[in-house]
Amino acid sequence: MSNFSRRKFTTGLAVGSAILAAPSLAFGARPRVVVVGGGAGGATASRYIAKDSKGAVDVTLVEASKRYYTCFYSNLYLGGFRNYASIGHNYYGLAVNNGVNVVHEWATSVDNGAKTLNLGSGGSITYDKLVLSPGISLKYDSLPNYSPEVQSRMPHAWTSGTQVQLLRNQVMNMKKGGTFVMVPPPNPYRCPPGPYERVSMIAHLFKQTNPTAKIIILDPKAKFSKMGLFTAGWDKHYPGMIEWIDPDTHGGIKSINAEKMEFETDLDTFKADAACVVPGQRAGTIAQSAGVTDGDWAPIIPATMASKADPNIYVLGDASVASSMPKSGFSANSQAKVAANAIRGELTGSRVFKPRFANTCWSLVATNDGIKVGANYKAGPEKIDVVDKFISQGGESADVRKATYQESIGWYEGITTDMFS
Amino acid sequence: MARILITFAASAFIMMGSIEYSHADDFFKNADIAYGEYLAGECVTCHRSGSSEGSIPNIAGVNAKIIASALHAFQTKERENKVMQLVAERLDNEQIASLAVYFASLTSD
Repeated sequence: MSNFSRRKFTTGLAVGSAILAAPSLAFGARPRVVVVGGGAGGATASRYIAKDSKGAVDVTLVEASKRYYTCFYSNLYLGGFRNYASIGHNYYGLAVNNGVNVVHEWATSVDNGAKTLNLGSGGSITYDKLVLSPGISLKYDSLPNYSPEVQSRMPHAWTSGTQVQLLRNQVMNMKKGGTFVMVPPPNPYRCPPGPYERVSMIAHLFKQTNPTAKIIILDPKAKFSKMGLFTAGWDKHYPGMIEWIDPDTHGGIKSINAEKMEFETDLDTFKADAACVVPGQRAGTIAQSAGVTDGDWAPIIPATMASKADPNIYVLGDASVASSMPKSGFSANSQAKVAANAIRGELTGSRVFKPRFANTCWSLVATNDGIKVGANYKAGPEKIDVVDKFISQGGESADVRKATYQESIGWYEGITTDMFS
Repeated sequence: MARILITFAASAFIMMGSIEYSHADDFFKNADIAYGEYLAGECVTCHRSGSSEGSIPNIAGVNAKIIASALHAFQTKERENKVMQLVAERLDNEQIASLAVYFASLTSD
């Protein structure tokens, strides 16, 4: 056979294959789910859709970071209860054990009509279903003169990573007897008890290394999560160290001077030797550009976590309007499983079960003094509704508090395994 | 050792619990393992396979009767733990059976 005839022969084969392949392409092409954000919502959704569909769904996870440092437990790193490496996780398990296509890029925009996600590199990925779990972006302009330019002087440390390392360094090196100022964010925000656990952990450090230091909390809120439990814990473990000032008393922060480390309020101008400033928040930027937000956050259909604005987009975790479910890693993980079940059902015809949601938030007040708040939820027609809830009681025994802390350690192992293994 | 203690403690609840497991086949006859796997999504946020530094036990591969009796004990508040009481209180017997049979089907590591 001449080269010509061989080429002709193989061309004929290729055409034949294409014709034969056409029906299977039409009826058997794997539907594609693209997930943006590799945190508690996105990593969990990627893993559950990939593992439960057993390869029937092509799952791509777009996450800029190659190593993910959890926000949950970052306060325990601040307090010296965890080392930094122990809150870092990679995407090996999702890629290798579950067959998720992990793309380390920024998602920049969504073409809803063409069902395409555009990437920072200039590339793009088409999807049948898009899951957005981008977490929060910070509203720097919610505080006067606070900006990315000054966040190294006054770290927010609200998205984990180097900001948390920087804050720990500043706390450890604060002058003896100095003043630490904490500015919690206004509602709604990621991790409602987080600012107050953070204060607890910093007080724990000061008690050991800088016992005459003071902590001032300039709060934009008149009350906060687990308030009675935290304030009782502060009185018990750190008497005289922490002063919480409510907005009626300080009248709001009128100006921040990062150079002088000063906070001007109606009550006084507070001079800090170190500070943590957490601005207001909204859904991660990609949710805004995808057109699924209404104001700062993305409304969802409770039964599926699908966006109310685009039936092919699902929004999980902090970015979503999950009603009474707090913006927490546990909530995002729970919502991801509801969405994964619904998406798989729609794309492959697999069984769809009744949605159910849960959340528990553990906080550490001092060594072996853990507290928790939790609830379970159901999907109502318009919002996610609380079914029942609990909170740690004041005056619990030391054994109960220790057990609560130990339970949180088990939870951390559990949820990170559930996200990344 | 920890596993033995957990198993022992749970066995005690089989004897103490208000649910009669002598006709266990009847209790588990409506178990739906796929449903159990879905429901287990709520459990595995905390319970993981393998060893654990925390106090949350590995329940993979544990006998179905032991898991069912533990859930009933949390449901009736005979066993203390706010998180587990909240999980158990909204489970019906079909869901408990499904969860128990699903976890029993797993290997412990």
